[in-house]
Amino acid sequence: MADWEIWVVILVLGVATACTRSTFWLVGHKVTIPPRVQEMLRYAPACALAAIVFPDMVLGPQGELQLALANPKLIAGIAALLFYLWRRAMLQTIIFGMLVLTLLRVFHVFGNSG
Amino acid sequence: MNQPHPALPVDQEADARGWREGFQTGLPTLFGIGAWGMVVGVAMVKSGLTVAQASGMTLVAFAGSAQLASLPLIAAHAPIWVIFLTALVVNLRFVIFSALLGPHFSRLPLWQRFYLGYISGDVSIALFLQRYPNPAPAPGKLAFLKGLMYPNWFAWQIGSLIGIFLGSAVPSEWQLGFAGTLAILCITVPLIINSAALCGVLVAGVTAVLAHGLPYKLGLLAAVLAGMVTAMACQETMEKRHRGSGTGHG
Repeated sequence: MADWEIWVVILVLGVATACTRSTFWLVGHKVTIPPRVQEMLRYAPACALAAIVFPDMVLGPQGELQLALANPKLIAGIAALLFYLWRRAMLQTIIFGMLVLTLLRVFHVFGNSG
Repeated sequence: MNQPHPALPVDQEADARGWREGFQTGLPTLFGIGAWGMVVGVAMVKSGLTVAQASGMTLVAFAGSAQLASLPLIAAHAPIWVIFLTALVVNLRFVIFSALLGPHFSRLPLWQRFYLGYISGDVSIALFLQRYPNPAPAPGKLAFLKGLMYPNWFAWQIGSLIGIFLGSAVPSEWQLGFAGTLAILCITVPLIINSAALCGVLVAGVTAVLAHGLPYKLGLLAAVLAGMVTAMACQETMEKRHRGSGTGHG
């Protein structure tokens, strides 16, 4: 992306923040969200984040599927997920996951996979 | 500054107390907020943004998960409207938060309501609603909110800037950008509030992988849609059957 395009993206992200966070401060208590819509709003962010994380972990640089054990990101990701479910601490999980990834990378645990 | 509630006289003592109380309530979370900002800062620089762009992004967007979500899209040259829609969807939880918090301060001037909403983060809102579940006006309430939100904003920004400058000093073989993926993982898990959400998340993830090749990164939006529809369908089935858990997903 060109430099100016990235700045447009940054502006657009700011607009997205304002739209979602400030709208109901501005309309106040004049509007109530129906329960059905509230549920949809509740499910959407988890789905969006999952849709970002899954490809990050299982797709290689050329977009090829890498489900083998030789994929260090997949292993580190799963290890981090289990760690988070156990400890429920974000920072520790990130450090743990990065440690696993680094060890796998440095020692080529599952053989040289390019 | 205008007096927000004509019913309540200016009470500087209550305001000072409220601010102090808000600050003390938020204090234990500030380190975590700063560290999380640092991770996002590192991820921004490692995904190829310049120091200026990354600093601009953290100051303007002030939304960790949306910032992280935008990085792979920027790297893949996705169209701007796709990035906008993605950021909007990732931020949707704040619509609910703002609907909860907005009525507390509905009498403040427009501009103040706008910027208070803009800088409200998940943690501040949760802590505020614990202290003030009821939207009725109370002395020191606005000061309490500010005592929570201003330090929160600074902790985040300082953390991010440290991450941005640290990130550009670290070699790229360390794959520090992966810390961003791990961070998203950690925000996703608490959002999986029931088995319907879990079904939705699994369907969204698998769809995103399968639809990866679609032009304009539309696979992402398709995945979100598929996940949401699945989650709603699961929920309706569960409500109908009340118990009786099937084994199939979606």
